[in-house]
Amino acid sequence: MQRSHIRRVLGTLIAVTAAVALAACGSSSSSSSTSSSAASPSSSSQSSSSGAAAQPGTGKPPIVMGDKNFDEEYVLGDLYQQALAAKGYKVTLKANIGSSEIIYKALQSGQIQMYPEYTGTLLTAIAGDNNPPKSAAQTYQLANAFVKKHGFVLLNQTPFFDADGLASTKAYAKAHGLTTIPDLKKLSTIKYGAPAENRTRYDGLVGLKKVYGLNNLSFVPLAEGLNYKALDSGQVQVATIFTTDPQLQSGKYTVLTDTKKLFGFQNVAPVVKQSLVTAEGPAFTTTLNKVSALLTLPAIIKMNAAVQLDQQSPSKVAHAFLAANGLA
Amino acid sequence: MNNFTEALKFIGRDGSIPGYPGLPTLLHLTLETLKISAIGIGISLLVAIPIGLWLGHIHRGSFVAINLGNIWRALPSLAVLAIGVAFLGVGLRNVELALIVLAIPPMITNAYVAVDGVDREIVDAARGMGLTGWQILRQVEVPMGIPLIFAGIRTASLFVISTTTIASLTGYSGTLGDIINNEASYHLYGVIGAAICIAALALIIEFVLAGVQRLLTPRGLILANEDEGAFEFELEPAVA
Amino acid sequence: MNIFAATGPVIPNFGGGASSFSCERANRLFCSSWVSQNWSSVLWPALRQHVILTLIAVSIGFVISTTLALIAYWRRWFERPVLIVTSILYTIPSLALFELLQGVPGFGLSATTAEVALVSYTLLIMFRNTLTGLREVPDEVREAADGMGLGPGQRLLRVELPLALPAVIAGVRIATVTVISLATVASLVDDQGLGVPILSAISDNVFKTELISAGALAVLLALVADGLLVGLQRRLTPWARSA
Repeated sequence: MQRSHIRRVLGTLIAVTAAVALAACGSSSSSSSTSSSAASPSSSSQSSSSGAAAQPGTGKPPIVMGDKNFDEEYVLGDLYQQALAAKGYKVTLKANIGSSEIIYKALQSGQIQMYPEYTGTLLTAIAGDNNPPKSAAQTYQLANAFVKKHGFVLLNQTPFFDADGLASTKAYAKAHGLTTIPDLKKLSTIKYGAPAENRTRYDGLVGLKKVYGLNNLSFVPLAEGLNYKALDSGQVQVATIFTTDPQLQSGKYTVLTDTKKLFGFQNVAPVVKQSLVTAEGPAFTTTLNKVSALLTLPAIIKMNAAVQLDQQSPSKVAHAFLAANGLA
Repeated sequence: MNNFTEALKFIGRDGSIPGYPGLPTLLHLTLETLKISAIGIGISLLVAIPIGLWLGHIHRGSFVAINLGNIWRALPSLAVLAIGVAFLGVGLRNVELALIVLAIPPMITNAYVAVDGVDREIVDAARGMGLTGWQILRQVEVPMGIPLIFAGIRTASLFVISTTTIASLTGYSGTLGDIINNEASYHLYGVIGAAICIAALALIIEFVLAGVQRLLTPRGLILANEDEGAFEFELEPAVA
Repeated sequence: MNIFAATGPVIPNFGGGASSFSCERANRLFCSSWVSQNWSSVLWPALRQHVILTLIAVSIGFVISTTLALIAYWRRWFERPVLIVTSILYTIPSLALFELLQGVPGFGLSATTAEVALVSYTLLIMFRNTLTGLREVPDEVREAADGMGLGPGQRLLRVELPLALPAVIAGVRIATVTVISLATVASLVDDQGLGVPILSAISDNVFKTELISAGALAVLLALVADGLLVGLQRRLTPWARSA
């Protein structure tokens, strides 16, 4: 009885250990088996080198890319990752790292080697330069000069720009005669909703106070993505939005004009470690620039709508877009 | 290590960031967290303990009581909070509802097992002495069940404090979770500082509850179980 | 030369007009079409990652807590310090522990941070249960084993541990279910597991379908794990009456 019992225990232990080992091993190699023609997994996936050895990416060092914590960034990260993977590069995408300050730290510490960044945010939130540039081109140049000092470089920027903005519901704006941001001065106090980090950002509460003189704002931290819900429910009367948000297409909201250009120019450009650019070869830069060139305002808004309104996965949407333009 | 020393300095500054006046202080956020947790624990206590004690006394409903405990343990607090937001929107009501949903089951289960498990011979002896059901509950079953009853209260309180912090992930602001979830503004050392505060809060609550338990435990039980004190968790019956 | 300069990119139809996604757009309670479309890309990977996170945490926690329990079983004074340390670890709210560990150099945003925290939460439960189970072995049984000529090692392996198994496995059950629940928060420091779709759903205007699917998967996973472990207990202790 005792011996057979020990055998039972050992047998069960071995079975359990084998199951754990199989599952653990299965996880690291399974992503290549789950990638199908319809969708490639987006987070932490190794790309399967697609066939021909003549691909520019084969043999090149692996790349670790990151993206920030909101939908548009997920799409951008997937677009860049899949385009590179299609050319044979080994790219791991670490999605949803955090807001600008956090992801830049991850870049500096080497946890990631590149991520898609907004030129204006790079200038204000990261470089701390609050002098407003006069144009998108100038923003790009200043941002590029900054990152170059730290061993990074900006690749080409996208045609589209996505600036922060302030919006109210159409009804509220009409009732209080709000069309521009300075109009907010008319109100005694008003609840202003934005992601928590905006409390300490120049292109957030700090700038609104300094540049527009708005001392009547009562800050309400909102979790990412809950801003429209907060506007609809009246939790806040004005909220930070992105100008490429698909919800704005519905006509239910009024974006207040940024007369003093506090929110700046915000085209997107991949910020990449300089040594990586050199090591990966010219096709790396060309591929990423090709993708960026495709990203016009209508394109990004349509993709945002598919992800945020139709709840499609960013990686599927990115794949469909790349495939339609011969880059998948 | 630099982060941890900076975190301690951050706590010393009561959570302020140089250059950004007007931020809520650490003390304020800690007290808010405590207040929200206390409301959740209080309401749950008032609802759960009487029900659990009564069910245990009449020895009914064991299936419900035990399985309630099993299912509760499986509920991820983040999901409960988020579902609350989906239906009630962001707000204190939603958070408290989630806290109550998470705090009631362990209290009921433990109160039930505590009273139900009192040695039948003792209960019979008491009945033989002429005590009414209510008197038995109050003078025999509850005092003997104090350790397990409090185990449930302590477990539930831990969960409530944890969940109150997590509420910031679902959009509720005003707790220490605000700092923990905002590394961008407060930097990692600020996050660590707030994390230290919430951990300290949880440990203090644990000490307080252990002290209350000691006060309420009849002397005979204290002598019999010398090990019972702070941090002596009797999480559930060892074989559930 | 940019060949798209004049005409602009081709923008495909991402799956039809508003009508094909009316359920999602209206954020109805449960859109089964979304679940079937996103099962393999969102829900299944998250579930798989969650299972692996849990298995690793519970396994490592089991090894550590069993070792500690055996030491405490043979040296009584060892119990108190272990209880204090593991209790403190258990008391620290999960969000706080994940963020505290993130600050440790070398940890950062990684699976290591998540696993160390999750392992910490299993220690108290499994340590206590294993130690209690060993101690509950009746003295007469121990003496009988000694009388039969079994050395302490043999006695442990053949008598004490088998008799302690129900308590040990009960501890593993509680630890497993606890880890499954806490691992949803772990997605903050390690972007994997069922916490990812839950948080993603929240930031998507609280997309109910994804939230409910991921939440339900977490609960079901816990119940299935619990059930499997009960089965394991019955298999390993055929002489014990089912609890």
